[in-house]
Parts: sequence; C-alpha cells; structure tokens
Amino acid sequence: MSAVAVYIVIAILLVAVFTYIAARRKRDSLNVDKARSSMASLDMEAFRNLVDPEEDAFLQSCLPTDQFRAIKRERAWAALAYARALSHLALEFSRFGHALRHSPDPSLADLGREVASGAIHLRILALKATGRLFIAATFPELPQRSPRSLFEQYGRSAGLLARYGALERARKQAL
Amino acid sequence: MHWDRLLLFYLWVAPHLLLGVIAALLWKRRLHFEFPVFALYVWYEIAEFIVLFTISKTGLNQNWYVRIFPLTLAISAVLRFGVIQEIFNNIFGEERKLKALARISLRWITACLILGAILVSIFAFDQTSNTLIAGAAWVGRAVAIIQCGLVLFLFLFSGMLGVSLQSHVFGIALGFGILSSVQFANSAMRAGELSGSMARVLNLLSTGGYHIAVLIWLGYLIVPARKSIQPPDEPVMCDVHHWNNELERFLQ
Repeated sequence: MSAVAVYIVIAILLVAVFTYIAARRKRDSLNVDKARSSMASLDMEAFRNLVDPEEDAFLQSCLPTDQFRAIKRERAWAALAYARALSHLALEFSRFGHALRHSPDPSLADLGREVASGAIHLRILALKATGRLFIAATFPELPQRSPRSLFEQYGRSAGLLARYGALERARKQAL
Repeated sequence: MHWDRLLLFYLWVAPHLLLGVIAALLWKRRLHFEFPVFALYVWYEIAEFIVLFTISKTGLNQNWYVRIFPLTLAISAVLRFGVIQEIFNNIFGEERKLKALARISLRWITACLILGAILVSIFAFDQTSNTLIAGAAWVGRAVAIIQCGLVLFLFLFSGMLGVSLQSHVFGIALGFGILSSVQFANSAMRAGELSGSMARVLNLLSTGGYHIAVLIWLGYLIVPARKSIQPPDEPVMCDVHHWNNELERFLQ
C-alpha cells in the first residue's frame, strides 16, 4: 500500500471518529438510574479500608512477605474497581451539574456550576487514584498513600447534591 | 460548462455565501464577543474568497493568483490555530485548576503533534513534484495533522473529564475536525505529481470538505443552543435522597 493510500485511510478513519463523536453526543442523556445504581453499589467505607496505609502496615507486620504481597495486590485490584466506579460516578455528577447550570432559577444554576466543578475535580482525583492503584497492584512492595483528597471531594460533591435536594424541596413548598 | 466545473463553481461560491450567513448570525447573537477569533476567521475567509474570485474571474494576471493563494492559505491556517486555542479557553476557562491542566496538556500534545508532523514529513517524503502547489500541500499536510490532533484531543480531554460542550462550541470544533481530516487527505494526495483529472477530483474533495464544515458550523449555530442535558424533575429528587442517605452513611 502506498503512503498516499495510508493517508487516505487515516483521513477516512478520522472523519468516522468525528462523526461518531457527533452521533454519540446526540444520544447522550442523563442516566439517573445508572448514577443511582453506581452510588448504591459503592461502599465507601470498604474502599477507604482497602487504601488505608495503616491497614497495610498492620498486615505487613502480621504476614510473611510473600503472603503480604499477594494480599496487597488483591486489595489494590479491589480498590482499583472502586476507584473506577467512583470515576464513572464523577462523570454522572458532572453531567448532572452541567444540566443544572441551565436552570432558569439562578440559585440552582449556581449550584449546578458548583456541582459540575466539584465533579470535574472528583474525576481528576479518581483518575489519579486509579493510576496510583494500578502501580500499587503491579508493585505491591511500594509504599501507598491514602487518597484522602478523593474521599474529601466525594463528600463535598455528595453534599452539594444534598443541597440541591433541599433547594428543590424549598422551591416546591414555595409553589 | 461541464458538470464537474459547475459543481466546483458551486462548491467554491456557496460555502462563502453561507459564511456570510454565519457572520450575520454571530453578529446578531453577539457571539463575536465570545468567539472573536472565529468571527475574524469567518470574515477573513469571505474577504479571501472575494479577492481570489475577483482575480480569477476578471482576467487579471494569473501569476497574482498563484502568489496570493499560498499566502491566504498560510493566514487561514494561523487563524485556525487561533480558533482552536479560543475553543480551549472557552471550555476550560471557567475553572482555574482545569484551565492549568488543560494548558499543560495542550502544550504537550501540540509538541507531540509537531514532532509527529515533522517525522511524517521526513520519513514519508513522497513529494515528487516541485511545484509551488505541491510544496504548499506538503506544509498543509503537516498543519492538518496538528489541527486534527488538537481537535481530537479537545473532544477526548473534555469527554474524559465530563466537561459538556455548548452546542455552537461543539459545532465549531467538529467543523474544524472534519475540515482538517479532509485537508489531510487532500494535501497528502497533492504532494505528488497530478494528472489533470486527478487535480479536478482533488479540487472537488477540498471544496466539498470545506462546504461540509461550513454547513456544520451553520447547523450548530441555527439550532438553538441545546440545554446539554435536561435534569429530570422528580426522578432526580429520589436520587438526591438516595445520595443524601449514602452521604450520611459515609459521614457516620
């Protein structure tokens, strides 16, 4: 195949990718059920436990090195699944926040901006945690830091959503 | 007039008339304040068309056309980079942290794309013609690689972080993505020696791609800015109660 033919194939692929992006945007909708089921399935306490360095230190002191490595690896893989779920949840939060930004009620629109901003921060932290956990799963002997800021941001985002609930209730009572 | 010449004439004139409609819409909706570089690009494209069309149709010295054409292409390419930067600023400008992350990522991706374009030019040096058009096509291919990569990165980066794009911002970016892809194929084919019929087909390809891009810009400007996702009223209330319960459980 000549170089020109390769370029043409690449260009066709690029056009197809852009068309797919446009088509996917059309059918994108806020999937609240998905967000709800993701939220329900997320046991934050278990996640916190899995990434707790003190818990790791305790296990290391109790178990032989080989066994500790195996368990640490399993814990890191399990935590990785939680981080991924949280990352997806952050996307749902972000989409919800962006949708709320268009609310005719200025207080809801402001809250939407906060929710979207918090969700983006949560997503970044979740992606960062995913990367770190992947490294921890691959190299279990390396020391691990607790993703404290991730939990804090999750708490803030969930708090903002609770504020939305309160605002909506107040708005409905006023009507 | 042959059908291909008629089609080429249509594809040359029509997008620029539609660009006039886009310029009017930008003015009417005061979007030229939000997207000054895109508005400048639209006006520039119209002015460029008027100059080149006048030279071509009034029987002026064709050397003028050959001299002016690459210059207009270069200015157009520079403005397109400006528009892509403007889209980035528009999407990520509100968030300080996100803006910093986007700026760093954009720098790195631009550096990688420039390196990629240089490597493609060095290792896939297939230029067999020494004409000015072939030389311009060779440069055009590198520019198309960079612009295409930047638009793709913009979509992937905003999608990865869950940043929703306003309808017209999405339309502008999508139009540039399609335009860059078509120009990539077009400039790759033009870098070689061309027969008369092949050159005509390539003219149709580039003007057709441009027409599609203009239609995309116009479409996304005419369609009222979609309220990206409407929050459902009642179901979300239930969700918020659920999320609230989860939060309370988390805080205990």
